Amino acid sequence: MTDSDITLAAVELDQTTLLTPGQIFRQRMFGHKGFLIGATLILIIAIVALLAPVLAPHSPFEQSLADRMLPPVWSEGGTWDYLLGTDQNGRDYLSRLIYGTRVSITIGLGAATVGLLIGVTLGVIAGYFGGWADHSISFLLTAQLALPGLLLAMALVFIIGPSIWVVIGIVGVLHWTYYLVVTRAATQRIRSLDFVAAAAAAGASPRQIIWHEILPNLMSSIIVIFTFELGIAILAESSLSFLGVGIQPPTPSWGLMIAEGKQAMFYRPWLVILPGICLFLLVIGANLMGDGLRDITSPEGRNE
Amino acid sequence: MLRYIMLRGCLAILVAFTVSLAAFLLLNVASDPAQAIAGEDATAEVVETIRARYGLDRPLPVRYLDWLGGVVQGDFGESYYWHKPVASLVADRVDETLTLAFSALAVTILIAIPLGALAALNPNSWIDRFALGVAVSAQAIPNFWLGLLMIIFFAVTIPIFPVSGDSTWRHFVLPAFVLGSSSVPAVMRLTRTGLIEVMGADYIRTARSKGFRGWQLLRRHALRNAILPVISVLAVQLGQKFGGSVITESIFAINGLGRLALESILGADIPTVQMLIFVFAIVFVAMNLLADILNAAIDPRIRIG
Amino acid sequence: MNLNLVRALCTASALALAAATGPAMAGPEDDTLRAAMAEEILNLDYNYTTKREYIILAQLTDATLFELDPATQEFRPSIATGYEWVNDLTLDLTLRDDVKFHDGTTLTPEDVAYTYNWIADERSESNANGVVARWLDKAEVTGPNTLRFKLKSVYPLVLRDMANRVMLRKAGTYGEGDAINRDAMANSLIATGPYKVSSFEPGTELVLERNEDFFGEKPAIKTIVVRNIPDIGTQQAELMSGGIDWIFKVPLDLAESLGQTPMATHLSGPDLRVGFMVLDAGGYTDPDGPLTNVLVRRAINHALNTPEMAEHLIGGSAEAIHAACHPAQFGCDQSVARYAYDPEKAKALLAEAGYPDGFPMEVWAYRDKAASEAIAADLTAVGIDVNLRYVKLESLNQARAAREIPAYFGTWGSGGTADTAAIARIHFDVESDRNMSGDEELAGLVLSAEQTADQEKRKEIYSEALGRIADQAYWAPLFSYSANYLVSPQLEFPLDPDGLPRLQNATWK
Repeated sequence: MTDSDITLAAVELDQTTLLTPGQIFRQRMFGHKGFLIGATLILIIAIVALLAPVLAPHSPFEQSLADRMLPPVWSEGGTWDYLLGTDQNGRDYLSRLIYGTRVSITIGLGAATVGLLIGVTLGVIAGYFGGWADHSISFLLTAQLALPGLLLAMALVFIIGPSIWVVIGIVGVLHWTYYLVVTRAATQRIRSLDFVAAAAAAGASPRQIIWHEILPNLMSSIIVIFTFELGIAILAESSLSFLGVGIQPPTPSWGLMIAEGKQAMFYRPWLVILPGICLFLLVIGANLMGDGLRDITSPEGRNE
Repeated sequence: MLRYIMLRGCLAILVAFTVSLAAFLLLNVASDPAQAIAGEDATAEVVETIRARYGLDRPLPVRYLDWLGGVVQGDFGESYYWHKPVASLVADRVDETLTLAFSALAVTILIAIPLGALAALNPNSWIDRFALGVAVSAQAIPNFWLGLLMIIFFAVTIPIFPVSGDSTWRHFVLPAFVLGSSSVPAVMRLTRTGLIEVMGADYIRTARSKGFRGWQLLRRHALRNAILPVISVLAVQLGQKFGGSVITESIFAINGLGRLALESILGADIPTVQMLIFVFAIVFVAMNLLADILNAAIDPRIRIG
Repeated sequence: MNLNLVRALCTASALALAAATGPAMAGPEDDTLRAAMAEEILNLDYNYTTKREYIILAQLTDATLFELDPATQEFRPSIATGYEWVNDLTLDLTLRDDVKFHDGTTLTPEDVAYTYNWIADERSESNANGVVARWLDKAEVTGPNTLRFKLKSVYPLVLRDMANRVMLRKAGTYGEGDAINRDAMANSLIATGPYKVSSFEPGTELVLERNEDFFGEKPAIKTIVVRNIPDIGTQQAELMSGGIDWIFKVPLDLAESLGQTPMATHLSGPDLRVGFMVLDAGGYTDPDGPLTNVLVRRAINHALNTPEMAEHLIGGSAEAIHAACHPAQFGCDQSVARYAYDPEKAKALLAEAGYPDGFPMEVWAYRDKAASEAIAADLTAVGIDVNLRYVKLESLNQARAAREIPAYFGTWGSGGTADTAAIARIHFDVESDRNMSGDEELAGLVLSAEQTADQEKRKEIYSEALGRIADQAYWAPLFSYSANYLVSPQLEFPLDPDGLPRLQNATWK
């Protein structure tokens, strides 16, 4: 939105020179500063996650109890061996932060996908069929929003046992509402359009109409929501891990690392501050990308 | 309209019961209240004694119906931990949470609306960009981490505000800021778009041509029309503040409903969790209803859609 | 960051905080000891509670028939002046005649008999019922200050239960027939101890005043206020600002950091709690699982670097332990087989047992996260693929009762009792789900020790049992705990070897 003048200008230019949609998209993408910053952040973090074994100076699990709670290298008592110091079990903090990218990204992508599957399915059903289907789904939506996620997380972690997949499932199940609301409204709108009515008149089944007429038209909004949900899911995982019902030790999750550092935060504030900064950068990257994609894909060039 | 409100009211109660049933089942699966009451070194015998004392050895459906029967008569049962009626427990703590929720809302309003308005008055200026930066950052900061940062910062660097507790208004400053900041992005963006839209409307152009400028124009004409959707969003945000109070109250050691909820979930104090969830659900649904009514009042077309 | 600077700033902020919250200064000025506890205090009647906080409070508010001498672990007369075993199943007691309840009435043998009979009655649903009903048949008044206890079976620990578990109440306290009120003493306690309840707000604050009519030695400090402050950070801030004089269960790191400032003194005392790993030797989770092989269990014992865990993670007086009990406990034979930390040997044993590449294993834990993670890391280092399940205690107990736990990191405080009996029975009885050894002979030994009155004989039996546990490596004993306190520099707080904090013994410097 900051670059609305530029993008708007670009739109006008597009219309006069008749560029293809792909060209317009690319032009808008590279003209959008927020999107570029976000995409760069995400790209860097993704590279760190992929190259974690190469980049990390130590194993994230290797402990040395005699070297516990060492401060970072720049403060009194720090050593070059442990650039960002060590945690309460004497594990290298930098290596844990680096491996933490893998946990966050996996959960972000996984949970946003689970949410997408649930939310879009329910949204399309509610929007297309209306009536009782719509009523029951909105009831489900309200009930879901009113139930504390903490409780659900505790129960599921206990029943199934904690693993990254369970956490993905929990966070996904807690975050489908945004998809639902948007796809429901969009489906209602598309359904009333002429080409859908024409397809129905030509004998297409609801299933065909949903797959061939409605879903393709929802694609761009779904991608935008997915990007936002990526950030939201990462934050949700960190909150659950912070409260002890998400990722389990010794897996290096940033939220869990903040919880572990909390006890000594007056004396060793870096244990809390560093993982938080990592979380912030990853989530702001996803949000900037989401904002950017929304501006780029909407017909007017921006949409708020 | 009245029928609509009645219908939604019934829905709210239905939601509250559904959610409380779900909570009851989840809690019984995930935890054992008798063990939680007995403590770390309790023997199996003691746990069984406690189980019998609280009637926890009865089948789940019987216990749920028992609870339901009480609720219909306005009795939410007695807390396993506190040995007193849950309703009075909740009543004791509701003040803190209301104070926190409303002061958080005040923080949101004080930051988001001026910032949104300034951004709308000067689109694409540095202030617009700054406002956008605030919104994007506030959305990306983990709430619990912001709370810890505030505590570290205000306990170590500039000790102006107390870092935990709830005895004076000063104790609420930091938590209100933390809880309030999470709603800033949504409210600010809505204020900005709303104002830009209104400012483009014919009557504003007319006003402008009559010589109204800047704040005067904003105050006398634009803000009034842009504010209703913002109020409806604020209502929804207020509903969410109750749920959001769990982490904030725990971090800042505020003795409100959020912390009570966390403690009773962790301690498997089922009657307390049940009532809290019931109350949260009703508040949540009521606030959404309020927002819908406001929206409907602004724009009758919404009721059709 | 400069640590000293941070500390100085912390101190400054705490002072500012104190200035902001007003003059709640504790200390000798008003002869008031202010203690903080994280656990909420909700019920004052120890006959209906179990947790450690309640034991500490019961020491203040209640007097019992006998009293434990924490130094010698002998039972001294208290309300009972003497006792005599008429035979194995009959015990006669003589009582003092000058014991007054907090409301001024004099304690009679009828009150004592009532209390014991009530607790032994299953309708009481008392938390002490299980313990007392095990041995008490009936208590009868036999004279103006004498009474007789009839036992169901031989039970050498009667005096212990009389000293620790049963708090005396006036006859009829808990009501009768349809009017039973088990919460009668929950909020307003009438007892016989050195302090009486002056005010009580459950979950918030308890104020105790010295009982000037107390029959025994009166405590030095007049008033004790116990405040519930759930967050250790808040406790810390209050301590630094002088609002609190005493906190316990302080994490080692915090205790050491804060103990170096002039604001607080760090006391580290012994604690009867021990940490250990219980292994599913009996094959409850998997009849042919790796843990049913003694070589694998010994390998696990060799894999754990317990001295380092004790030194760095628990600290204070904590030490690595080798027998399935606390070294300070009666009968805790220290000559049992020891498994030194030796990862290479552990790997060799695993290979010998047929698991050269290790095996997957779930390890459950519920407290001391850092130690739990250290255990998992040590086991991973010898090739065992550990899945650590760090859960709440209730979840662990529930899963263990369902026999779903192959191995867990448990701890046991023995209720402050320095006797192996207080740890052995609950962990090795046939009926206990904590017993995963599946060894009935061992269970028989443990039971027979409890039915032996001869102390030397009892010691021998425990030696045999503990030797068997060590040889078979049913457990991997880990370490003893230390109790960390932070107290006001003005407070003199003596620590007892059994690790139970006794606030009644505190004085001002």
